[in-house]
Amino acid sequence: MANRTGTAQRPNGQTQGKICQFKLVLLGESAVGKSSLVLRFVKGQFHEYQESTIGAAFLTQTICLDDTTVKFEIWDTAGQERYHSLAPMYYRGAQAAIVVYDITNQDTFGRAKTWVKELQRQASPTIVIALAGNKQDLANKRMVEYEEAQTYADENGLLFMETSAKTAMNVNDIFLAIAKKLPKNEQNTGQAGNAQGRRLTEGDTGPRAAGNCCK
Amino acid sequence: MLSIQQDVYNIVQAKFLAAEIVKSIHLNVSVVDGPLENNNRILTLVEYNKSFALFVLVSSRVQPISFSDLSIESVIPLDQNFSFETEPVRGQNYVILIIRYKQNRYEFKIEIGKESCNFAAEIIHAKEVSLNSSTNFTWLEKYFGTMNQTNKNSNSSINDQNDFVIIRDGMAQGQASINRESMLKYQLKLREPEFTQKQEFTIFVGTWNVNGQPPTASLKSWLSCVETPPDLYAIGFQEIDLSKEAFIFNDTPREAEWQKSVMDGIHPNAKYRLVALSRLVGMQLAVIVNNQHYQYVKNVSMDTVGTGLLGKMGNKGGVAVRLELHNTSLCFVNCHLAAHVDEFERRNQDYKDINARMNFRRNPQAIKDHEQVYWLGDLNYRITDLTNLQVKTLLQRNEVTTLLRSDQLNQQRERGNVLLDYVEGDIAFHPTYKFDLNSDIYDTSEKARPPAWTDRILWRGKGIHQVHYKSHMELKISDHKPVSALFKSEISVVDQNRYRRVHEDLLKKMDKHENEFLPQVTVDQNEVVFNSVKFREPQSREIIIANTGVVPADFEFINKLNESTYCKDWLRIVPYCGSINPGEKCDVRLEVNLETDLDNIDDILILHLKGGKDMFITVSGSCQKSCFTQSLSTLVRIQVPIMHSKKEDFNSARNNQSPILYSVPRELWLLVDHLYRHGLKTRDLFESSALHEELIRIRDWLDYGSQDPLPGTPQAVAETLVLLLSYIKEPVIPFELQDVCIAAASNFQNCRQLLIQKLNDIHRTTFIYICMFLQELVKHSNDNGYEPKTLASLFGDILLRDQIRNAKPQASRGKANFVYNFLVNDLSSSLIPK
Repeated sequence: MANRTGTAQRPNGQTQGKICQFKLVLLGESAVGKSSLVLRFVKGQFHEYQESTIGAAFLTQTICLDDTTVKFEIWDTAGQERYHSLAPMYYRGAQAAIVVYDITNQDTFGRAKTWVKELQRQASPTIVIALAGNKQDLANKRMVEYEEAQTYADENGLLFMETSAKTAMNVNDIFLAIAKKLPKNEQNTGQAGNAQGRRLTEGDTGPRAAGNCCK
Repeated sequence: MLSIQQDVYNIVQAKFLAAEIVKSIHLNVSVVDGPLENNNRILTLVEYNKSFALFVLVSSRVQPISFSDLSIESVIPLDQNFSFETEPVRGQNYVILIIRYKQNRYEFKIEIGKESCNFAAEIIHAKEVSLNSSTNFTWLEKYFGTMNQTNKNSNSSINDQNDFVIIRDGMAQGQASINRESMLKYQLKLREPEFTQKQEFTIFVGTWNVNGQPPTASLKSWLSCVETPPDLYAIGFQEIDLSKEAFIFNDTPREAEWQKSVMDGIHPNAKYRLVALSRLVGMQLAVIVNNQHYQYVKNVSMDTVGTGLLGKMGNKGGVAVRLELHNTSLCFVNCHLAAHVDEFERRNQDYKDINARMNFRRNPQAIKDHEQVYWLGDLNYRITDLTNLQVKTLLQRNEVTTLLRSDQLNQQRERGNVLLDYVEGDIAFHPTYKFDLNSDIYDTSEKARPPAWTDRILWRGKGIHQVHYKSHMELKISDHKPVSALFKSEISVVDQNRYRRVHEDLLKKMDKHENEFLPQVTVDQNEVVFNSVKFREPQSREIIIANTGVVPADFEFINKLNESTYCKDWLRIVPYCGSINPGEKCDVRLEVNLETDLDNIDDILILHLKGGKDMFITVSGSCQKSCFTQSLSTLVRIQVPIMHSKKEDFNSARNNQSPILYSVPRELWLLVDHLYRHGLKTRDLFESSALHEELIRIRDWLDYGSQDPLPGTPQAVAETLVLLLSYIKEPVIPFELQDVCIAAASNFQNCRQLLIQKLNDIHRTTFIYICMFLQELVKHSNDNGYEPKTLASLFGDILLRDQIRNAKPQASRGKANFVYNFLVNDLSSSLIPK
């Protein structure tokens, strides 16, 4: 399944390169808008009163790049502190993470930094981390300055965007930026699809190989 | 088959994978002990790779209209455990079909008739086939997951079979990924017109039988006879080497020579690249493409078929190259069919063999599966019914049309015997065979073969327009003249931007589909709170898991990272996994049973849906203190019943900070004293089990204290004593001393020594206290029936309790021996501290 091409085959664009599958996890304080970002990205919807996530929601979404197709398996985690200890189940083996904070709440930015630190320490060393300052539509109540977050992101090698799940601002863009940054080399070739809905259990020690590509 | 049955048959087949073939179905089957008008079952016999299984399907409609109307009720493998029989019912037009599988029995009512006869015959046949081949039923495993809960249990016995390897996860998910990919491919093909446009390509096809000659002449006059450089060349030769070596070893230096000659001869005004070169003995086919199109050629594959000597050798036959140019599949076949005037039927057969045997090992596999096919070569059909002289005369008069009526190929094609749906352009050139070498003169040798159009080019497919079809008289080195045809062919070219849009759109739709088909459930509560959890007084709460999605949801409570169980030991979840059909619910009972000393219980359960999300359920509650789970050293420091003890007092007792108030725990004394006074003569004191409520009353009497006398029968009090000794935090003989005690068990003095040296005062006193009480019991063995051996073996496991509860007791005998010492020897006061 990995490679149906014969020796004489050259890509002619029709099969549009390969499909890479990546596990992406959303982390951040509760009520910063993780589920809303996913809902906006996957279904193009926004609910003013999004229910609190108690668990880890799972959805998939595909993004087409120029030469590859990236399929995200998205794990949207519970933000409440009481569930903090369960988060490693979801970020372990993830190739990408979006750490979300609320630009109108300084505490959530502090919490985001803690998440970034935890990921840097415990997640896969090659994980691509994006920082999302959500609720940009409430910029008039801003408590976290754009420059402050940008500087922090630069220092830590994070992608950074201010987003709004409500207005859709930068929502696709941040996922697209992650998709572009993820490594898609041949080494990542494996079986896509069978990783669907899968979480790393005890058998899967450590992070999975950086990607999961297949044609 | 009746048409209605055929319809249902198709629907039933759709319920299964393509490789799982529905062999037979029986409609309108009812369950014998079910409701009366319940004839909505469909018995279905399914085969997968020679292994058969019977599926009982339930239809939600009288007449199912889609496979989603069907749900699988039971799956019964046809292996050695399967048997069936029919039982007629007197005076009725139906029979009872009884199916047995291991301990399960299924009974169905089926109407007598053709359908039931056929169905029974199929089962008998299937059973025979199953038993005669080593069958593997792993393919069934995925269906057990889709059955509803009750039936699942009755089928679980199947898992006992040794040959039943369970790879459910892998199978189910692997399937999904294949489906997704083939689905995408299929959908893309359907929407191809949206992202492709037809573009004309010039294809130059040439064929020449070179009669074993080396290439001594330039091929320019043939291959470069057109003004504009063609986009693609397909050049076929026959008889490039007539030597035995070529025939036997299929190896010839001529291949490279002719190929070089071709590359030198093709159009000079463009750069070309070889795509593929296919050769069998003397037949050679080169497909060459203009450089600018090279990157759009893909899935190139070739094959050869010999139809010569023995029907297999390569002196005759065909060589072919297939490829995709942009989005159109092309196939070029160069053939050399059987010779001699009379052998036209042999030629027809060769053609059929080439079609049947040419196999590219890739999709599309056969010649006919290609959108465009170009068929060229020395087809070897001759002119019949005319003498050499007549032919030559007609040619001199240039009456080609008249002559073509006698062409065998035209005749055979008209009769549908060869190249049936191929097209050939009008022939305006003279026959290309047979010439005297290095001349334009037809055969003047003794054999004087009449001229013939042996060398031909035909095509098949849409959007092909022939521009020219001619022979090339200039090339004289062979007894054949080369022929060429130029085509303008419509190739469907992908518009990258439009393709990307369609592709992306399809992926989005599939994402949407995939997300919609994720298992979805809701739980009625994410927080389960227990109030005042008491020692060994189980409490339970129910949570309801409702399937709110569109697919069956397989749920399971799963372990947290680095934990080996899915919940704490004080909790039981029933059931901890299962499958819920859409719209249905499952009650899950959470039962708390406290057997250790905890202030609070607190756990987060992870409810996982296979292939979907996780939900967290928090279980919490406060616990009530009890003397049963404390340590001896705490108990001897508490003055009042534990529930009346002040928090500070209790904590300092727990931390061994307060003074020792009693030599043995109050609670222990109360129980033993009660038994001493009321139970010494009770028969089977420790053997009968008390009512749970009775034990709870005694527990509360001990924990709360009371003016009332100790409630309960002597047996209940005795059981409470055993419980207390079994659950106190550290056994009377602590874990770390048990091994040495057991080792010393054969010698009382050693045991005594150990007790004095190793045990602390509280434990030693308690131990002696219990043993003295047991000695009292032994004194009354006439009444109570207890011998020292019995008591020793009973209390050995309690006083030297194992670390892991509920496991098989370890070294019971050694423990009993140890205790026995203290039941039959004098427990002098020296053992008891002041």
